[in-house]
Amino acid sequence: MAVQGMWSGTISFSLVAIPVHVVKAVKPGRITFRTLHSKDYSPLARRMFCPKQGEIVPPDEIVRGYEISPDKFIPVTDEELESVSPERSRTIEIIEFIDMNEVDPIYFDHPYYLVPSKGGEKAYRLLALVMSRTNRAGLARFVLAEREYLVAVKSSEGALTLFTLHYSEEVLSDDGIAPKEGKIEAKEKSRMEKNIENMMADFDPGKYADERRGKVMELLKKKMKENVPVEAPAGEEEEGEGPPDLVAALEDIMRDMKKNR
Amino acid sequence: MSRKVVEIAGRRFALSNLEKELYPSHGFTKGQVLEYYRRMTEFILPHLKDRALTLKRYPDGVEKDFFFEKRCPLHHPPWVETAEVFHKGERMTACLVNNPETLLWVENLASLELHVPLARTSSPETPDAMVFDLDPGEQATILDCARVALILRELLTRLELASYPKTSGQKGLHVFVPLNFQGATFDDTKKFSKAVAVIMQKNYPDLVTAKMAKEQRKGKVFINWSQNDASKTMICVYSLRAREKPFVSFPLEWGELEHPAGQGNPEGLQVMYSEAVSRAEKMGDLFREVLVKKQKLPHL
Repeated sequence: MAVQGMWSGTISFSLVAIPVHVVKAVKPGRITFRTLHSKDYSPLARRMFCPKQGEIVPPDEIVRGYEISPDKFIPVTDEELESVSPERSRTIEIIEFIDMNEVDPIYFDHPYYLVPSKGGEKAYRLLALVMSRTNRAGLARFVLAEREYLVAVKSSEGALTLFTLHYSEEVLSDDGIAPKEGKIEAKEKSRMEKNIENMMADFDPGKYADERRGKVMELLKKKMKENVPVEAPAGEEEEGEGPPDLVAALEDIMRDMKKNR
Repeated sequence: MSRKVVEIAGRRFALSNLEKELYPSHGFTKGQVLEYYRRMTEFILPHLKDRALTLKRYPDGVEKDFFFEKRCPLHHPPWVETAEVFHKGERMTACLVNNPETLLWVENLASLELHVPLARTSSPETPDAMVFDLDPGEQATILDCARVALILRELLTRLELASYPKTSGQKGLHVFVPLNFQGATFDDTKKFSKAVAVIMQKNYPDLVTAKMAKEQRKGKVFINWSQNDASKTMICVYSLRAREKPFVSFPLEWGELEHPAGQGNPEGLQVMYSEAVSRAEKMGDLFREVLVKKQKLPHL
């Protein structure tokens, strides 16, 4: 499988070490739009604006501040943040195995696939097979892009998937959500159970599609046929003078030409 | 209404409205336009060949409305060669001016100006030349373009690239750098020409701008590098222009830019239809090298 991984390393526990790399498991189907200037269809750029000075602020004048009260901040530098960031790790160290049935889906954050790297195929298959039979998952700590995540490694149809999990302090309490008032009659309860039983089906997500997305795509196709595309004015962008080799050669020649004039 | 049936290569067709003045202030008629293109056929055809033609038609002359036509008119005679092309994602049939009779047929439609892309229809993504379109802003003239063209030429020469200038037939100049090799891409020609334009602007800020914005062009020459694009067309060399006077987009020798005729009169560099014919017949096709010379862009 020739996929570019976003992380590579090993899954390990006791004496087992399986080389893997991490790839995305979902690609959101959202259609994104650029924002354009209605006058000439130039794509718009975001800039940091200082309302006090009424000016756009260049990147080298931007710092971070933690707001302790309105208009009162603790400035924090990149170096300071870096000094408390976890080090990139090369392992997904499984601390314990858990039963997947015990994990409330509310903890699931983001799914990834684990792809076996060279030499890891057999151990990968073995782990995937055993975990899927018992519906177990390995719980691990894992550093991805400067943040340490709690993750669950589980098996789905032969492939290992990795879910980043929310920390418990991130999950909001459900206190006060479940109503306590009102007596429930046995008859009502059994009628509800029957209703649900009648509507049971196998979970088949393929049956459902994002209808709005389909309609937006259709609209775009139709407009494409009617030849409504508009073009941004060319030649306005300032950044980048060109290929460095060429620019250097041109600068040399220019210097020489002006000297000999 | 005058009609005249002509026969070229055994193909008969009718030319119409020959006495209509298409350049009224100059008394230049449609018959004379047809005669101009007939005499220039051997020079202009190689430059039109296998390129998707954009017609710019002036049915009632240069002082009245015109329209562009990228699609080959549906009623075209069977001997007009065509090609299927994509323009901005849309498929269309374009005329190819591949023979003398097509040229006359197109002119009979009063397409005074003939615009073609920098690539041939068989390889629409492969430019066979890179172009610098020198366009004078307000208060600048073709003589300023000539100064810019000479600096540009020296720069290109030092990069071991030969270049060839022509008048646009309007106010500016076009400098062509022949490529004629398979690996050329618009990506490269755009990148290269832009880098050149930017460095020229940096070194000659009072004379050159690489920016499209009108207010930045006052008194300066805009080097329009963005013409190096598969979707853009350029006025074909030897085409008439639809201005008050019947000027031609005509190739020049570099010496003519070093010592422009006309004692400071910008029109001294312009070439009128009659002069175009006599010069071409005497000098041959000064733009011949643009079609054959093989050059590769360095430092990319």
